[in-house]
Amino acid sequence: MLPALEMKGISKSFPGVKALDSVSFSAATGEVVGLIGENGAGKSTLLKILNGVYKPDAGSIAIDGRNVEIRSARDAFNKGIAMVFQEQSVISSLTIAENIFLGREEEFLRFGLISKARMNEAAAQELEKVRLKIHPGTLAADLSFSDRQMVEIAKALSLDTRIKRDVTILLDEPTSVLEKKEVAMLFDIVRELKQRASIVFISHRLDEVLEICDRIYVMRDGRVVHESPAANADVHTLHQQMVGRQLQHEYYREEKQAQPSATIALKVDKLSKAGIFQDVSFDLHQGEVLGIAGVIGSGREALARCLAGYEKVDGGTLHMGGKAVRLATAHDAVGRGIGFVPSERKVEGLITPFTVAENMTLACLSKFTSGGIISGAKESAIAKDWIAKLGIKTPSTKTMVVSLSGGNQQKVVLAKWRIAGVKILILDHPTRGIDVGAKEDVYSLVREMTAQGLAVILLGDTLDEVIGLSSRILVMKDGVVNASFNAPAGGKPAQLEIIQHMM
Amino acid sequence: MSKFDWQKSGVSRRALLKGAAGLGAAGALGLPFARQARAEETTWTLANSMRSLANPYHAAFAKGGEEFAKSIGAKYEQLVTEGNSQKGMSDIRALLQRTGGKLILNVDPNDSPDARVIVEEVQKAGGYVVTQWNKPDDLHPWDHNPSYVAHMSFDGVPAAKTIAEALFKSFGGEGGIVAIGGILSNVPAIERKLGLDQAIEASGGKVKLLDFQPADWNEQKAFEIMQAWITRFGDEIKGVFAANDGMGVGALEALRQNGLAGKVQVVGLDGIEAAVAAVEAGEFAGTVAWDPMWTGGMGLAIPYAVATGKIDIAKEPKEHREFYGTAIIVTKDTVAGYRANPGKVDFNDLWGKATGQIQYRS
Amino acid sequence: MALAVRTSKAGFAKWRAWAPLAVLAGLCILVSLFNSNFLTVSNSLRLLNTAAIPLVLSMGATFIILMGSIDLSVEGVIAVTAVTVSLLVANDLTGYDYGLWAVPVAIIAGGLLGLLNGVLHVRLKTPSFMTTLGVGFAGVGIATAMLGGQTVRISDQTFRALSLGRVGGVPMAIWIALSAVIVAYIIQERTRIGRWVYAIGTDETTARQAGIPIERTRILIFSLAGLFYGLGGVLSAAQFGQGHALISQGRLFTTVTAVVVGGTSLSGGVGSVLNSVVGVLIVVVLANGMVLMGVEPYIQQGVQGLLIIVAVALSLDRSRLDVVK
Repeated sequence: MLPALEMKGISKSFPGVKALDSVSFSAATGEVVGLIGENGAGKSTLLKILNGVYKPDAGSIAIDGRNVEIRSARDAFNKGIAMVFQEQSVISSLTIAENIFLGREEEFLRFGLISKARMNEAAAQELEKVRLKIHPGTLAADLSFSDRQMVEIAKALSLDTRIKRDVTILLDEPTSVLEKKEVAMLFDIVRELKQRASIVFISHRLDEVLEICDRIYVMRDGRVVHESPAANADVHTLHQQMVGRQLQHEYYREEKQAQPSATIALKVDKLSKAGIFQDVSFDLHQGEVLGIAGVIGSGREALARCLAGYEKVDGGTLHMGGKAVRLATAHDAVGRGIGFVPSERKVEGLITPFTVAENMTLACLSKFTSGGIISGAKESAIAKDWIAKLGIKTPSTKTMVVSLSGGNQQKVVLAKWRIAGVKILILDHPTRGIDVGAKEDVYSLVREMTAQGLAVILLGDTLDEVIGLSSRILVMKDGVVNASFNAPAGGKPAQLEIIQHMM
Repeated sequence: MSKFDWQKSGVSRRALLKGAAGLGAAGALGLPFARQARAEETTWTLANSMRSLANPYHAAFAKGGEEFAKSIGAKYEQLVTEGNSQKGMSDIRALLQRTGGKLILNVDPNDSPDARVIVEEVQKAGGYVVTQWNKPDDLHPWDHNPSYVAHMSFDGVPAAKTIAEALFKSFGGEGGIVAIGGILSNVPAIERKLGLDQAIEASGGKVKLLDFQPADWNEQKAFEIMQAWITRFGDEIKGVFAANDGMGVGALEALRQNGLAGKVQVVGLDGIEAAVAAVEAGEFAGTVAWDPMWTGGMGLAIPYAVATGKIDIAKEPKEHREFYGTAIIVTKDTVAGYRANPGKVDFNDLWGKATGQIQYRS
Repeated sequence: MALAVRTSKAGFAKWRAWAPLAVLAGLCILVSLFNSNFLTVSNSLRLLNTAAIPLVLSMGATFIILMGSIDLSVEGVIAVTAVTVSLLVANDLTGYDYGLWAVPVAIIAGGLLGLLNGVLHVRLKTPSFMTTLGVGFAGVGIATAMLGGQTVRISDQTFRALSLGRVGGVPMAIWIALSAVIVAYIIQERTRIGRWVYAIGTDETTARQAGIPIERTRILIFSLAGLFYGLGGVLSAAQFGQGHALISQGRLFTTVTAVVVGGTSLSGGVGSVLNSVVGVLIVVVLANGMVLMGVEPYIQQGVQGLLIIVAVALSLDRSRLDVVK
């Protein structure tokens, strides 16, 4: 029998990264296929191709044996592929019914007007599938997170009643906001559904993957590295397959890894943010790279943003130089010498309509200002200095930062904080989307900074990177620090050891 | 009193800007905004400069200038400041350059201080200029002979007093009135209120001002305020005084909605068509026409007479150099005559409608 | 009452959703304490009559704001449509006398300007405040050009009856405004485009993923708003019996104020055309009430400014901003 969905030799590149490298993948009606891999292994890209968000550079997609091109989410839906997104996509200002049938209201139209009664009735049928006993006319804003997730799933399942042939349902991390009981219920639904559908299940929770899936694909660095029936797999081997690669010591400039000083730069005590992370405590030393490992939903991103003053915490204390501090705003954090290199470089890290020099001096403009007037000469002198130091490839200091490559943009962000003289730098995915050469430059820079006594908190793009760069590693899972590893030069922990605590 | 302001026609600066911005669109539509007389019998170029063509007052002002230019076969240009002093002055400079100083300019300056700069530029270039409404108190034509020919304005105080008295007469001279003012800080708004106050005082307590509210020269606002007054005062209101006709029309429509049009009389100032028609219909007790055709034409005719040597301006008395025009009081009794001969201007009668030297009350 | 539609039933959101109605009720009570004439039938009709045009305008503006955009072309569109209709009915400038047929023509002219707003905004990928500001300027300009700065007076009494006539003792303008509200409410609640407005205003990415034609929806909504402004222009001309380029002066401010005061959030997705009905009534009752109570003119302006600041502050849904991040 032909698989309902088959992808052959799919490749997709983004500037500086090969996200997918000749990936082949199939799912047949009656089976639940698991898709696992570390962050950045290429799962999301694969899903986005199936959902029409990206177009593959090479390869083919076949549905019921016929090659197809998926042009949009709507197109995917019409072809029998529905997706439940990892980020919730329920619109709070619409009712449950309106959300389920958003963009597909035609069937309820009579003389151009929507029949609410019929729509609610149809929605009630879908809600029954996910065993949600809430009136379909309820506003989504009034639902709990797990109910919203169920609505999302109901939305995907509505495909089942509307498409005459077998369908494929993609579930991207559907259980991350669900309680145990709800997960069990979801699995019941999935088992029932697979009679008439193929289901792709993506999760970081390997026990769940093993429980529900019939077949498992393991992805790493944009490739499928392993495929086997779930019956033959166990958590340990899956971990091994997910990590695989040997650590390249030179790549991460391990020989230059500084010995952290005894002086504490930042003392974090029982920091909590309701529902996101709880009771996080650690000491950050000068000259240290503290890596934080964790999957999406582990709370590490929110923690980093809290330390940078971008988000507020609900409890816990912070001490710098023995004094309690509050970091309620980014302004507070910068004032205390904490710099933040966000993952959304273009949104939060750079002012895109500014020049290279203007971006570099932004965090400490007062140094270049006399009597309220910015000295262009001083500004461009220091910018030139840093362009040379970091090897930033830019035609001049007056070049618009937006015209630079990702790697060079990232160096501008780092130069900004160096010029500002920060003492602690928080790097949130500092090498995301930049090419290999620029990555190595960033690593060198991290080493150089720690040698001068800066403390760095690193949320690496890959586990490999976290281990290679860090001198100590905290592992977070479900909002708590689950384990801690020392990672001195020459004595790095194995990926396997760490990943066991992550998932 | 010297500084008359451009809000006299109930036009806000923002709206003027908008109107002016739209002139580009007007040009694109091929509408005749930069009219030029074809005949060229004189080497002098004539120009009127004003804020905008979007209000009736300035549209008539421009027309008066055009008619005079046609009567002597001169080239005529219209300059629009769009409420922007810089644009106004740079347009004038450009025109001075283009005409080699052979320019006769009739200007309603955007802002009082502009007048000094304009006068100095014109004098330097050898042209002649008349200013309207706005100028600094210490800038006088006789200090800039012969280039600065004259300054013309209208006195809002007696006009408002006269028209208020016409209103009182409409209800027998005894009872309550309500009054709608312009933007609180505007000179014309202040003058017109002063005129009203004088009229009320002169009534010797027989006329009572029930309430005074500013409606910012806006007919819609006047409409809303009038609605509220009808609720608040009911039939205590015997008459409505509006500081301009636009607001007067707004109040009239509110009265009409309540079946009171014609029963409660309204007066306004400026002489816009709707107000004149309302006088004819017996709904307005009167309005005051400023005669913009006359100011627009005479502001060119007088300097033209100087330029062509017909008069020696330096020898003219001060009341011919800084003077008020004749406000035309349009009431039920006079409206027929006004209709018959609305703005026919005798361009040879240079000071025939001048009514005395400008007073500085400050 | 129906304001509960599209209103979250939880916590602060719920309180905030009912605040405009409470403010309106409070204002009415306050004013009637000062002046017993306030709550009479005749004054209520006067208030509604004053509210008629702002109501029609706010219906269009609500959809735009719900979508997370802004439309600053209100005054320009009214100017064009008011002048257009004035020139087509019996008047003192042109020889035309098309009677009520002029009304759909003017409304469609408004729709076309709205279409222009939408097309420029979407195709040029320019923020809506820029494109609508430009179209608004051009609109006042076109109106000025059509009349050469003059005012056109309407002599067609049938046309003027749209404002002055009464049916069942209630002015026509109120009936027309009421119809506009009903139409807007049906569009909001019962059509796809109404649904999509909320989706786009709340979360454009998700809306796109759901296959909603975002660009086409935006253009349609701007056109729809233009139709409402067109109707507003027609009513303005009927109310004052004349058309001129400055007839709409001050309408933009009142319209946006009313929508925001009613509780529709400037950040999009939250609110309803019914909220705007309450918003318009608040603004109108406040203005009327302050004159009734004899409040000093300059204090009146201060109170109105304060009202807007408070409304905008309340309409910013901070909790929602956090969830989105």
